[in-house]
Amino acid sequence: MAPDVGAIEFHNVTKRFDNGTEALREVNLRLDEGSMTFLTGHSGAGKSTFLKLLLRLDQPTRGQILVNGVNVVQLPDTALPSYRQHIGAVFQDHHLLGHRSVYDNVALPLRVAGMRERDVARRVRAAVARVGLLAKERLLPQHLSTGEQQRVGIARAVVNRPRILLADEPTGNLDPDLSRDIMHLFEQFQQVGTTVIIASHDRELIESLGKPIVELHQGTLRSAEPGPVHDDEATSEPQQKQ
Amino acid sequence: MSRNRNSDPFGDARRTGPRAWVERVARFVRDHRRVAQDSVGHVSHRLPTSLLVWVLIGIALALPGGLYLLQVNLAAIADQWQGRPGVSVYFRVGADADAAAALQRELTRDARVERVELVSADAALREFQAFAGVTDALAQLDRNPLPTSLKVLLVDGTAPAEFDLLAARIRAARGVDEVVIERTWLERLQAMTGFVRRLGFVLAALFAVGAVLVTATSVRLAIESRLEELKVMKLVGATDAYIRRPFLYFGLLYGLGGGVAAAMLISAVLLIVEPPLAALVGSYGTALTIEGFSMAFFGGLLLLGGALGVCGALLAARQRLADLEVV
Repeated sequence: MAPDVGAIEFHNVTKRFDNGTEALREVNLRLDEGSMTFLTGHSGAGKSTFLKLLLRLDQPTRGQILVNGVNVVQLPDTALPSYRQHIGAVFQDHHLLGHRSVYDNVALPLRVAGMRERDVARRVRAAVARVGLLAKERLLPQHLSTGEQQRVGIARAVVNRPRILLADEPTGNLDPDLSRDIMHLFEQFQQVGTTVIIASHDRELIESLGKPIVELHQGTLRSAEPGPVHDDEATSEPQQKQ
Repeated sequence: MSRNRNSDPFGDARRTGPRAWVERVARFVRDHRRVAQDSVGHVSHRLPTSLLVWVLIGIALALPGGLYLLQVNLAAIADQWQGRPGVSVYFRVGADADAAAALQRELTRDARVERVELVSADAALREFQAFAGVTDALAQLDRNPLPTSLKVLLVDGTAPAEFDLLAARIRAARGVDEVVIERTWLERLQAMTGFVRRLGFVLAALFAVGAVLVTATSVRLAIESRLEELKVMKLVGATDAYIRRPFLYFGLLYGLGGGVAAAMLISAVLLIVEPPLAALVGSYGTALTIEGFSMAFFGGLLLLGGALGVCGALLAARQRLADLEVV
């Protein structure tokens, strides 16, 4: 079988913690490149673990996670920085640097990538403008509202033009209108070819957007609906990309 | 463009070729310039802490540095001695006075000898009386107990082996009772120099460990204060080297500052001890010259301080960053 270029595939992925808790159990799933998918489920269902495994912040106990046909579980540590530079991540608690301005927070991935300062400035301004915070680029995060902080987090996640964008409860602290705005922002990134995966328990909001939904329940994949998400349970053994 | 398909999901494995190398070097220089500027800012914004670290490292470097200077100066004194040794020749009491004069003439013609001074038995007695103040006691003696002697000064750079050859030749001369090569002080001085050198090595090693630990502790505190930032950096794809780099610069700046502090401390000590030392040396008819306290010495202190600072920073960074949990 030819590898699915651009796809994200989970094959029999199980994650068991040291205390015996199974966060994910035999998850099989394939997401197409350029898709936007919601990952839902109750608290503790395994959503965050799913994203962490994809970011290689943690390793599964069993199974394979293929990105563009490459098993990221077996990526050597030396390849992780380059891999992560292609993935944007947004967190509910933003992970912003309190003593750095909006500009410097958003510039961080570009500086890490070794970009020239004039290119950094151009890209940062574009990203900050896109989330509507250009007028506040010199402020510290503490002088911003929660919604604005979340948008800074999104700007930082997309500034390096990632191929995959992950968001863990990005609207958790936001009011419904702001939540909808944020979701539309993610849709814009999907429209330019970024694969977007959003973990959220706000079922009402995500159903209103008509995007594919993957539901996790106590670590197992309960349903995949609607759209181009494939419950991959019946697929044959995954192939390593050659 | 080459691609390692098993470790490169996005196909951006390292490019090769001259352009890629130029870009890589340019990126390296950019990163270092940016980190150096940030580090200078970090150190200068925490001036009280930085000053404390500089003084601690300065003390740790100043003591072995001072001992090094002491050893260099002792060695210089020893060298001066070694170049102009003396030989004292004592004739038997009551020996023929012509024998001493003959040996004096013979030695004066020797290329190894710069000057020969004959001290007659009478002259020696007068000198002894004047020096020891025992005129009455000596007056009781029925004859002069002191021998005629020759003081032989050798030319600069005479090899030590030549001392013994010359001494053997003199010993065979008529009427000679004893030949003394005046190198006892030289040997003592050399022994002292050796002792100071060894002490310097031991203290340098001990204080180097101290300087490394001071830097490591300071850098570790800096790491702890920026832990959240480091986690985010790792999250957005920073390499371990990139994360470590600012702390190596901290260590370097702390070490260089410590080197400057050490030079200032040593200068201060020299200022304090120089007047009495100059007076002491002056009483021997010599001007005081401090050897070794030069630009090279100062540069060495800076280099050593910088190297120890980087070692301390590496130690702290390896310990703390190895198990850094990203989120």
